[in-house]
Amino acid sequence: MTCRPPRLHLGLTESVCPVCLKTIPAERIAEGDTVLLAKSCPEHGSFAVPVWRGLDSWVTWGSAARAFARPVATATEVEHGCPQDCGLCPEHRQQSCCVLLEVTSRCNIACPLCFASAETHGADATLAEIDGWLETLAQGGRNVHVQLSGGEPTMRDDLPEIVARIRAAGFDFVQLNSNGIRIAREPAYLDRLAKAGLDCVFLQFDGVDDGVYERLRGAKLMRLKEQAIANCGAAGIGCVLVPTVVPGVNDADIGAILDFAVAHMPAVRAVHFQPVSWFGRYPDANAELPRITLPEIIAALIAHEGGTIAWNDFHPGSAENPYCSFSGRFRVDDDGRLQPQAAAQSCCGTPIEAVAVPASAPSTTGCCGGTAAKAPAAPVAAPASACCGTSRPKSDAAGPNAAQPAIVSSEIASPDVARARRYVAGQWRRPASTTEPATPGLDAFDRFLATQDRILGLSGMAFQDAWTLDLDRLRQCHIHVVSPDRRVVPFCAWNLTAIDGRPMHRPQHGQQPQPAASVAAADKAGL
Amino acid sequence: MSGDDVSPDPTPVDHAPPALADLVCAACDVALEPGKVEASYLGQTFPVDLPRCPKCGFVFVSEDLALGKMLKVEQALEDK
Repeated sequence: MTCRPPRLHLGLTESVCPVCLKTIPAERIAEGDTVLLAKSCPEHGSFAVPVWRGLDSWVTWGSAARAFARPVATATEVEHGCPQDCGLCPEHRQQSCCVLLEVTSRCNIACPLCFASAETHGADATLAEIDGWLETLAQGGRNVHVQLSGGEPTMRDDLPEIVARIRAAGFDFVQLNSNGIRIAREPAYLDRLAKAGLDCVFLQFDGVDDGVYERLRGAKLMRLKEQAIANCGAAGIGCVLVPTVVPGVNDADIGAILDFAVAHMPAVRAVHFQPVSWFGRYPDANAELPRITLPEIIAALIAHEGGTIAWNDFHPGSAENPYCSFSGRFRVDDDGRLQPQAAAQSCCGTPIEAVAVPASAPSTTGCCGGTAAKAPAAPVAAPASACCGTSRPKSDAAGPNAAQPAIVSSEIASPDVARARRYVAGQWRRPASTTEPATPGLDAFDRFLATQDRILGLSGMAFQDAWTLDLDRLRQCHIHVVSPDRRVVPFCAWNLTAIDGRPMHRPQHGQQPQPAASVAAADKAGL
Repeated sequence: MSGDDVSPDPTPVDHAPPALADLVCAACDVALEPGKVEASYLGQTFPVDLPRCPKCGFVFVSEDLALGKMLKVEQALEDK
């Protein structure tokens, strides 16, 4: 006889049925040291899957301050409820930090695992369509990070022109989500991207040997990955290694990936781990789907370093839901060992807002009192929030979704999201010491910037699939995708697929995008 | 447009940084002099040479420096 360990109720939320994608109640429960998301669909039965392994860190992450902000722009009304109404809708609780533009559905490999279900054939967005997406983001009024995604964006010969258009539109951080094949083979193409203003390559990097790539990507790619990283270093573009971690495939390689990153600094600026999520294309949805959770990755990193770093060197994201991510920054010493980088704190427990002088400001200033010079304190965009508060304006009415959605703007920017953007841009782009010439008299600044070459970012983000989707987390999502019909959709909602592969939001190949309400209505009608 | 000639718009520069000899403290009507100052941000202190008023200690930070190297130091000090 076996006994199931006692279950502890941790909270209620909502999710979807993995079979029909209808919204259903869900419960977070602890079973032993594992947190499960449990739910029952009246038609399709019960589901319970692990979302976090480690109750201690669950409590720690859960005690983090929660940041909420109304979207700067909304384009859909609340009609069917989250996650059906994405546009964003007025009930979304965070603004965009990074927005993906899927510039092509083509790819040069057909990975057995692909959240976008990309094929070697497909279609490119026109430059006019991309301009329209940028206009949508600009109407939102905020300077979001832009990630070029797909498909494989480097399938496009005109990608440098797209990067230049994004920069010309005023977006100041552009990253490229890539498998690295073309930028390994064509350094001149990468140079053109750098010249156009690309900041960072977000490089698919699942392991340090061909065996991992053959299993996850269907090809031997290790040599190309190394060449892509070398080319990023030569082109002056920051490189972030992005492993998709799959239990039984590469979860034992987390330490080796970390060692590889350290050995390839400063071209490699960070490692961003993504526990596998089961959406898009994957081998068999009816088989048992193995899962690894964020605390297990942190534990593997700590164990690999053998005592120089600890749990309190990692922290949850402060703009998104805390259970969606972790991050930490570490100084790599002369022996290649990680040492914790002390986090600067303000009175509020979060870092002080950056200050900068608007270009139009007079250049004579600099009174700091006594002999201490501080940066002039003119706030960027003058957010109307106090340093200890989080922007949460009242909800406005939103226009109906349409081909050209009505935009309802809020003038208040989230300081939490702004801070997250600065953190990412500061760590992921090429270190300033390689772009800032030494200045006589400012040696202290130069020495400090040189140390940034040896700072490595370690982070992770847990995407949610139809089994793990927690709508409390989704409503706080700040990683978004612009849909072909110019809605802005949280990443995990955009990629959500049912057990049979049916997407909720992403158009399938050859299918025109539909407004979310139409999809819901068709589903209701059994179509 | 060919791919080789695309580049982001350069940041417009309104004017060159003023020369030290042109700087006068408005409050004291005294010419600024180069001097050691301590720039502090988020608990870090940086001893640097900047123009300062020998009388009242006011320090001149040019726009070029404030938006350039100093901003990069600040951003590097900030955390999530």
